[in-house]
Amino acid sequence: MFKFLAGRLVQMAILFVLFLSIVWLLLQAMPGDIADTLVGNPDIPLQARLDLRERLGLNEPLWNQYVTYITNFFRGEMGVSFSRYPQEVSAILWQALPRTLVLFLTATLFAYWLGFKTGKLIAWNRGLRTEQGLITSGIFLQTVFYPWFAIVMLWTFGFFLGWFPIGRFIDARLWQGSPYNANDVFGQMIISVVVVTLLYALGRYLIARFSDNLVARARLNQVLGILAIAALIIFWWLNPAQAYVADIAHHTMLPVITLGLVAFGATMLLTRAAMLETLGEDYILTARAKGIPDNVIRDRHAARNALLPVTTSLVLALAFVIGGGIVTETIFSWPGMGLIFLQAINVSDIPLAVGALSITGVLALFGHLLADVLYAVLDPRIRIT
Amino acid sequence: MTMEDHPAAEAELGVPVGGASVRQLTDGAELAKTPMWRIRWRLFQRSFATTWGLFKENKMGMFGLAMIGLFAIMAVIHPILMATVWDPAVYDPVNGYDAVTTEFVVVETVTDPTTEIDLTTARLELNPTIKVGDAVSIPTQPAPPTISDDHWHLLGTDSRGRDILSQLLYSTRSAFFLGAVAALTTVLIATTVGSIAAYFGGWIDGGLMRFADLVLLMPLLPVLILLSAMLEITMVTLGVMIGVLSGFGGVAIVLKSQALSVKVKSYIDAARVAGGSDWHVIFRHIVPNVLPLSFLFMMFGVTEAIAIEATLSFFGLLNVPMTWGIMINNAQTNGYLLSGTSYWWLLFPAGLAVSFLCFAFFLVGRGMDEVINPRLRAR
Amino acid sequence: MTTISLEDLEARQIDPTKPLLEVDRLVMHYHIKAGDVSAVEDVSFTVHQGEAVGLVGESGCGKTSIALSLLRLLPSNAEYVSGEIRLNGEDLLWLSPEEMRQRRWKDIAMVFQGAMNSWNPVYRVGDQIRETLDTHYRGVMDYAEQRTHMEKLFTAVGLSPAMLDRYPHEFSGGMRQRAVIAMALACSPELIIADEPTTALDVIVQDQILKELKRIQAELGMSIIYISHDIAVIAEVTDSLGVMYAGKLVEYGPTATVFSRPRHPYAYLLLRSTPSITGPRRQLAPLEGEPPDLLHPPTGCRFHPRCPFATEKCVTNEPPLEDIGGGHRVACWHHDEVPALEGALQR
Repeated sequence: MFKFLAGRLVQMAILFVLFLSIVWLLLQAMPGDIADTLVGNPDIPLQARLDLRERLGLNEPLWNQYVTYITNFFRGEMGVSFSRYPQEVSAILWQALPRTLVLFLTATLFAYWLGFKTGKLIAWNRGLRTEQGLITSGIFLQTVFYPWFAIVMLWTFGFFLGWFPIGRFIDARLWQGSPYNANDVFGQMIISVVVVTLLYALGRYLIARFSDNLVARARLNQVLGILAIAALIIFWWLNPAQAYVADIAHHTMLPVITLGLVAFGATMLLTRAAMLETLGEDYILTARAKGIPDNVIRDRHAARNALLPVTTSLVLALAFVIGGGIVTETIFSWPGMGLIFLQAINVSDIPLAVGALSITGVLALFGHLLADVLYAVLDPRIRIT
Repeated sequence: MTMEDHPAAEAELGVPVGGASVRQLTDGAELAKTPMWRIRWRLFQRSFATTWGLFKENKMGMFGLAMIGLFAIMAVIHPILMATVWDPAVYDPVNGYDAVTTEFVVVETVTDPTTEIDLTTARLELNPTIKVGDAVSIPTQPAPPTISDDHWHLLGTDSRGRDILSQLLYSTRSAFFLGAVAALTTVLIATTVGSIAAYFGGWIDGGLMRFADLVLLMPLLPVLILLSAMLEITMVTLGVMIGVLSGFGGVAIVLKSQALSVKVKSYIDAARVAGGSDWHVIFRHIVPNVLPLSFLFMMFGVTEAIAIEATLSFFGLLNVPMTWGIMINNAQTNGYLLSGTSYWWLLFPAGLAVSFLCFAFFLVGRGMDEVINPRLRAR
Repeated sequence: MTTISLEDLEARQIDPTKPLLEVDRLVMHYHIKAGDVSAVEDVSFTVHQGEAVGLVGESGCGKTSIALSLLRLLPSNAEYVSGEIRLNGEDLLWLSPEEMRQRRWKDIAMVFQGAMNSWNPVYRVGDQIRETLDTHYRGVMDYAEQRTHMEKLFTAVGLSPAMLDRYPHEFSGGMRQRAVIAMALACSPELIIADEPTTALDVIVQDQILKELKRIQAELGMSIIYISHDIAVIAEVTDSLGVMYAGKLVEYGPTATVFSRPRHPYAYLLLRSTPSITGPRRQLAPLEGEPPDLLHPPTGCRFHPRCPFATEKCVTNEPPLEDIGGGHRVACWHHDEVPALEGALQR
């Protein structure tokens, strides 16, 4: 397993350097001098521009420039933003990264959890009256013009029904004069969720380790899940920053649901197809002959195997989530990487745009790695011990 | 449970591929006297008829096909309308203009303009010649759907007085064009790459597949956004770019595994033993057998390309005159993003057009998937 | 050569005269778009305690449909039209789905065609066997007892107990088949249905496994139904033999009798179409024609379109399964003319 992981990591690192090289080549291929593209904004004072040239190694020969570019990236040196001079690109992106990550992760998890469940059920109960409707809406969600869908969602739930705030990350009026910094509160929220998740995972491991009884195990897992959620809610309920946390959470919901819904459609269809494929396998017939109850066959045998192709598709969904993330952030004015990227493009702030794209590349890479590891964990035929 | 489990039921489910005898294929003539292309053509016809027979069973797929047909009519009808009944000065999708006026009856005098919602009302108030009870005609942009003697706008006009229906129809053509370019490029590249990688194996395979991994790693939309900021992108270049990026990536990987399963068939060995060169075997034997699957990916490719184009235009990043995405972009930049149902003709026709065309191609793709992969077929 | 030891497993007390499973005039159809497929038509036979019964026939003749019928595992488009399946006198067709589920594997276990795919690839083999114990002996065996039991089972079929912790893909074909047999024995069922148990294996392994299966069955006092298309394989291990054609049982009787003196033309031609290494030299007679379309089965005797003896009577009237002495039953109007076929075919 570790060997496999190490191999994968090396492969990923190479791929990433290649990715950076392509971005660099793109920059080189642009009309005009690359130095002007990266530092040539007339709004920046001349002396600062010259310093920047030095810092980014743009006075060096081409080859050295390339090497500097790659090493700079790994040192977090991505130059200075034109449009937000004198802010560093890395500082801007660093602030935006958690927001984007939260958007991506929650939307993906929500979509996969619900999509897998629904897909599993409609494949198992084939010919259900809701089947055709669910399939059709799944296809529609998968093919709907996403920006338009996001606008309609924002209008319906934010404007017309008023259930959610209309875009943005926080309510400025509420935060005026607040003793807290929104980024700090958000950071703490993330940390608390991560800690609880880790504890939950540890609990699941211990239960699996010390309980042989399947039924008891399932019940204990349920209790543990409820406990984890309760702990999170109670923790923030008692926290002095309660109202502010609620505000951020409230703002997060609609973008997450919108992005998640679209990924949900695709996951549901895929799970259904994978389940149907699995249900035709001989081991399902064997399981039925063994007298195993239907719901156990569905969950333990069919769904467990259908999970494999669905996990593979996580990688493909990643491309969608990243693209969809940009659209979501734009329409919901969610100040994450995608919005920054698009704003940078609109004002030709190339250093910021390239920085955002590279970080997106890193995200995609980690997504791939995660899916690979998950697949290896799930499929003993791949697993290397 | 699917029926395929059961041997007794198999006979009925199986595809009735009539074993084509030589006599049928040559139309009764001697085999040697019939040109090869005619036999190929007959075989093609036969397999097409079989596939079509299966596809027809799929209601959703047929629905998708019908929708595509409808869109095709929309695409064709626009130039005809422009040449016959539509005056270009009014109906040109980009430069047309028509001021639709709406008649209002003045009902009350407003004293404090700032408390009232409608600016038009305030402007009326400043005009001393108008009294309560007068009827006034005010040009409205965007105008709701109007049908009158001198104004004929089934879907209203946009905020610059241009006919929405004309824009919608005009954009259909470019959507089809882009979809076709992107899908053809994708399939052309992916089929070639996949077949070559599968046939030669070894370092060629390794190199091509690692490259595919790399392309797969590139998030398509952000990369295209960056490119659009650096270069002037038109419809053709966009189509080719999408085609290249998806053709070297995921589709190539899928088609390669298909090509691999073809490569181990005995007729490939036969062709090699008979002295066929590598390229002959690849293009005459492997590629034709990978084609059905690539055709499937063409359908999904069209869906993807149309969606990407519309998203890029929505962001205002493309150098194209008018597309569905630009229509929504116009609505957004003019402040009608959250107008919802009150200005529905600005957002809904274009948004639904993109969605439905993608939906239609996706349904056709799914229908073909069921033809190729019988396990998905309903009982 | 693997050795098997059955000492650790409990043997069942049997009374060879008592019927265990009685299939009585079973009729089963599949409903498909084009109409009804009559897959099992009026089939009756009895399996006594400790008896090994074989069913042979071409593929698509309804063998597997019968096997799945016995466990009520048919796809949802199948319908039991009439007949009874009695296990120890209790009609399985009248049980509720839940009662039937509890009977499966505990009373009737099954060894499937192609053991390769009988294992779920993502679970350890031991856990998949444990699953049957969890289902049928809930609360009876604790974890350690389950483990001991499974180790005994593995030893009995000649596998190392350590293999319990392996995944299916780590097993060879023969080992997987042995493990499948071990799993079938897990709840010590009274009846095992073996559907083409050795088809995918090479000949030597095939022979070994069949012999072991035979020994296990005999020593543990179980009954078994072998289903195969290969009459020669089956003849070696069964006490009684049934020949099926197009959903009907056309001949049934003691294996030795049916094998040496087949009286149904189909059974005769089937035997003649397979070469025998040990028997006397004879000419092989290929069976001509195709099995009938069960959507529209032939009238009268279903074999008449391919039968060299077919007369007007065979086209119009269906022959009953008659006893021609010594428990040998044949469904043919011309069964007494079959021995003459030998001469006819020689010419």
